[in-house]
Amino acid sequence: MSDIIRRDPRAEWIARNRLHPLHASLQTAQTSWMGPNGLIRKNPHAIGFIGPNGLKRIDRSGAQQGGSSKRSTAKAEVQLPLHVIEQPSFHIVVVPDMVGGRLSSHDKDLLGLANKLAGSEGAVVAVVFGEHKESAFDTAGVDRLLHIQGEAFDGYAPEQRVLALSAVDNQLTPRHWLIPDSRTGGGELGRRLAAKLGERPATRIWQVADGQCIGRAGAGREDLARRAPRLILAAAECADPVGDSRHEVRPVELQDQIAQCLPRIENLGAVAVNPALIPMAEAEFILSGGNGVQDWTQFHQAAEALGATEGASRVAVDDGFMPRDRQVGATGTWVTARVYMAVGISGAIQHLQGIGACDKVVAINMDPGCDMIKRADLSVIGDSAAILQALIERVTEFRQGGARDAA
Amino acid sequence: MPLNTLNIITLVSVGAHPMSGRARRAEQDARAVELGLRLAGERLRILHAGDPEEEALRAYLGMGLAEMTVLQQPPQADALPALSDYLRQAGAQLVLTGTQAETGEGSGMLPYLLAEQLGWPLVVGLAEVESVTDGVAQVLQALPRGQRRRLQVRLPFLASVDNAAPTARQSAFGPARRGQLQAQAVSVVEDVLFSEAQLQPARPRPKRLKVIKAKTGAERMKAATAKASGGGGQVLKDVSPEAGAEAILKLLTDEGVLR
Amino acid sequence: MLNTILPILLFAALALAVLGAGKRFLMWRRGKPAKVDWLGGLLAMPRRYLVDLHHVVERDKYMSKTHVATAGGFVLAAVLAVIVHGFGLHNRILGFALLGATVLMFVGALFVAKRRRNPPARLSKGPWNRLPKSLLMFSVSFFIATLPVAGILPHDFGGWILALILAIGVAWGVSEMFFGMTWGGPMKHAFAGALHLAWHRRAERFGGGRSTGLKALNLDDPNASLGVEKPTDFTWNQLLGFDACVQCGKCEAVCPAFAAGQPLNPKKLIQDMVIGLAGGTDANFAGSPYPGIPLGEHGGGPHQPIVNLQGKALVEADTLWSCTTCRACVEECPMMIEHVDAIVDMRRHLTLEKGATPNKGAEVLDNLIATDNPGGFAPGGRLNWAADLNLPLMSEKKQTDVLFWVGDGAFDMRNQRTLRAFVKVLKAANVDFAVLGLEERDSGDVARRLGDEATFQTLAKRNIASLAQYRFNKIVSCDPHSFHVLKNEYGALGGNYQVLHHSTYMEELIAGQQLNLGQHKGGSVTYHDPCYLGRYNGEYEAPRNVLKAIGIEVKEMERSGFRSRCCGGGGGAPITDIPGKQRIPDMRMVDIKETGAELVAVGCPQCTAMLEGVVEPRPQIKDIAELVADVLIEAPAATKQPAAALEVN
Repeated sequence: MSDIIRRDPRAEWIARNRLHPLHASLQTAQTSWMGPNGLIRKNPHAIGFIGPNGLKRIDRSGAQQGGSSKRSTAKAEVQLPLHVIEQPSFHIVVVPDMVGGRLSSHDKDLLGLANKLAGSEGAVVAVVFGEHKESAFDTAGVDRLLHIQGEAFDGYAPEQRVLALSAVDNQLTPRHWLIPDSRTGGGELGRRLAAKLGERPATRIWQVADGQCIGRAGAGREDLARRAPRLILAAAECADPVGDSRHEVRPVELQDQIAQCLPRIENLGAVAVNPALIPMAEAEFILSGGNGVQDWTQFHQAAEALGATEGASRVAVDDGFMPRDRQVGATGTWVTARVYMAVGISGAIQHLQGIGACDKVVAINMDPGCDMIKRADLSVIGDSAAILQALIERVTEFRQGGARDAA
Repeated sequence: MPLNTLNIITLVSVGAHPMSGRARRAEQDARAVELGLRLAGERLRILHAGDPEEEALRAYLGMGLAEMTVLQQPPQADALPALSDYLRQAGAQLVLTGTQAETGEGSGMLPYLLAEQLGWPLVVGLAEVESVTDGVAQVLQALPRGQRRRLQVRLPFLASVDNAAPTARQSAFGPARRGQLQAQAVSVVEDVLFSEAQLQPARPRPKRLKVIKAKTGAERMKAATAKASGGGGQVLKDVSPEAGAEAILKLLTDEGVLR
Repeated sequence: MLNTILPILLFAALALAVLGAGKRFLMWRRGKPAKVDWLGGLLAMPRRYLVDLHHVVERDKYMSKTHVATAGGFVLAAVLAVIVHGFGLHNRILGFALLGATVLMFVGALFVAKRRRNPPARLSKGPWNRLPKSLLMFSVSFFIATLPVAGILPHDFGGWILALILAIGVAWGVSEMFFGMTWGGPMKHAFAGALHLAWHRRAERFGGGRSTGLKALNLDDPNASLGVEKPTDFTWNQLLGFDACVQCGKCEAVCPAFAAGQPLNPKKLIQDMVIGLAGGTDANFAGSPYPGIPLGEHGGGPHQPIVNLQGKALVEADTLWSCTTCRACVEECPMMIEHVDAIVDMRRHLTLEKGATPNKGAEVLDNLIATDNPGGFAPGGRLNWAADLNLPLMSEKKQTDVLFWVGDGAFDMRNQRTLRAFVKVLKAANVDFAVLGLEERDSGDVARRLGDEATFQTLAKRNIASLAQYRFNKIVSCDPHSFHVLKNEYGALGGNYQVLHHSTYMEELIAGQQLNLGQHKGGSVTYHDPCYLGRYNGEYEAPRNVLKAIGIEVKEMERSGFRSRCCGGGGGAPITDIPGKQRIPDMRMVDIKETGAELVAVGCPQCTAMLEGVVEPRPQIKDIAELVADVLIEAPAATKQPAAALEVN
């Protein structure tokens, strides 16, 4: 955005006209200022605006923009204070999953927990295997970075990695090992390490405080509270990630050679999985069609273009457009997709029940009053065929663009 | 080597229904039995350490097995030594287990510890055994969200299965009732965990609100009182299909589901 | 010459018939033992035939009259022929009687032949198309052969040529009518049918009675194979019942699964059981095949499994799982064959021994075992729907007049509206009622009909134990399935109660002027009879009376009352979900739309769910309780308190 400040005559006029309904919202939104004694003073009357029915409304989401707010470019990133541990009295070692070479949110939660456990005395060590693309270890709370590289650690090599970690254990004798209890590698690595070290780990931990930790037990109906052991496999959201400090990310090296083992498990690589064949309950992205889908060929094309797993409403299945195992809903499959895109599905209660666990729901429908729209995070009202067609084109473009960027 | 000559043992436990908590066959263990049955047919052996009187165990027999071995133990005993002793002598080439128990601690450590004690490789999340040639198995490992990885591993090995393994077949009442539970006495090793840890009903964990990096009190206030997102979605009405598609694409890329 | 040939022919045919009868009887007796009243059954048989069976046949006047003439004529003619021609008792009077009988039979046979000229699809062809010719041949041959006896023609009339022709005619006639009767010809129905009526497995059905509850399976012997695997696992009188089938196809015509194109045809199923009884393939079956399954590929024998899950046997498993247990076939069957019993018997084997309940079946059964409800919901949430209603609990009250059986609809958001409406009605009428609350479990209906007798009995016994702790006069339920099971199937396990469907109870309340009702406003209304209320329990009037009381004149569907077509929701059919050409609820909705009604009143949570599953636009669906609650005038006028006297239940 340009830095040139432009006048908005209309806004100024509204600001002068006290009878204009938008007048209040265009007043200088100085709702708080530093008082003479250094206290923050607030003017509760200055905030909010008059709603259409004449009542004063306060919108704290910040979505309502005051007309006279200064249009300025975003302020430069605040430099966070640097947290330095020169001589750590102990170590907390975190082994992040590094899905896609970056810290996942689960990893960041663990680093947050590690910083909580390290306090001002200990150092948080992150052990990272192989190449990575992460550039924000500092703000995530990594005091020391132990980067272990080598062909033997690339790809799926849990046994070799465990050997490396036991070397780390010898060198640093960390007070705690923190490993994400995830399906993306951490859960397995942590347990292998536990078996190797002979430590009994605490698993699925969601709270560590005062030397006690609480984790889910059994099938999740119970919690197990116990003294925090050395090895903690923590669940996502076990602690808040680090947010207000910067860390050194000082590199450390392993002194000893890591023992080499003959891999007993050989990785032959990922298998190309057709998204259409992924069990629906597991699929991450589902494109689901219902009674409102006119052109099923196009629907299948769209699913292919989007790389989505196909689903269907009961009616679409009953009418024979989709096989029975693709039915979503209370009487079909309960799905857990991150994004669930419903095309021409009005949203019978059984169907909405079945998508209860979905994160984001996108609805494409002709009828703006249907229940699916009420559930959806994003709804587009209109002809599904035209929207799908436009979407196919956009996605194809997007992928080609992505390929160019990567090149 | 044809798959059906493999010597397979599946370890099973007593599960608990997630809603009622009633004893049942454990979901993942049942999937492990299913995988075993598909590989070895009726030659599959199943093994449990615990109470041979437990009726829920019969649900495994109801999947079409004539008998199962139960290493007799009290509930608080450590199953590991008994199981590893038994497995060492059982001559199995493949031992299947679930990922974690549905009752008790459910740490999911058992397959790892067993593999460590037996000195066998462990495949985590076995989805399918594709072939076995010259004592080397080619298997598919399940990754999150339906992805698969192909691994090669030498027999004998241990494998845990999760919910990506084939769904367990129905347990039929007749065979379940006729099946034999062969109890075997074993020496009991007490598990020390529960002397210091307590089980309590699971506390629900609220979904975390968006993490706010607030620099000032006002910002924190604003963040704390912000509307929870999703209180009503965005509705695009009377827009061109292209604009609609653009909005959808933006959401998809934001969510990172376009690969 | 005829005088020597005729007795030989007659007695030879009779002897062969007796031989065949013995053979057939032994075939039936290969089935499992069943307790029957041997002599009493035989003595009751004529009455059962002439009254009970006639009532069913009488629904088709044409066929009823035809059958009376043909069968009556034949029986008379056969007896007289044996006396006159067999024993040579050439009495003129007997001769004239025999002539009359053959004429009667001839006339009947003409009508049979007429029906066969352009037969509807439900009728079997093949040997059944030969039957009218044989009937005519029999009657004509004996008529001519008897003319001399009656003195109308001289004794030596026609010479040996006519004698030869007559001999051939008589031979044809008696071989079809006597020999064929016991050796598997179409006339088998008369022989097997008569004995089937005598030793019927539900003798209570005769004399106006009703017997619809499934029979309990004995689970005491741990080594017994459960359910029916091979034909000989049926009880012998079931096998006899299959043999009684006349292949009239009345069942086929009313079967909702057949109409929907699912692979079930009740007539073919019974005939397959006959094939299994004798051994062979279905290549010669002369009726409609199972939709989508060609003839000639399936076969079996008495000791071979009926269903082969890996390959082909007598019947495909999908055929058995297509049945909605709506009992329309049983209701229509003029031979009173029990199709549903047979299907459930075979399902029991598939579920209890093979663990082969299809689709969602296994999951539903697991849920029933682990959570006492088919949806797998937390059992503690059973009363959540009534959190704000402050319902009296049996565990607190200990005794009450009406025990309100909520059913598993408690977990279903749609059905909760019905339940709340009914509670509103109960409260308005000041009924002394209570619910079991968390002590209630699934009635076991679905488990039983999916063949899981073990789970049914467990659930039933637990429910009976819960009920035994309390004192109440009657149980009222909004769910005809629970109602039926509690009323008719818990008895065998020791639970005998007075159970009412909520429509019946509301009718009582209205009759007792305990409800202050307004008039229904809104469009025209039709009523859909739930199978488990109507055909299973004969309650057709109460719901209609309730609707009448709130000013609704029911626009009846063509298929209503005992001919009501199933919604497709019974017998676990929505769970096993066997694909067909169309859906049963869609067909029922067409029936409903034909009446032009804007609203369809129902009395069953299954029907509500199935009919509401039909894509809109369609008529609205409301439970009777909702309709009554809608017109309820609050602040009831001086209502009488219900009788406080309580008896031990």
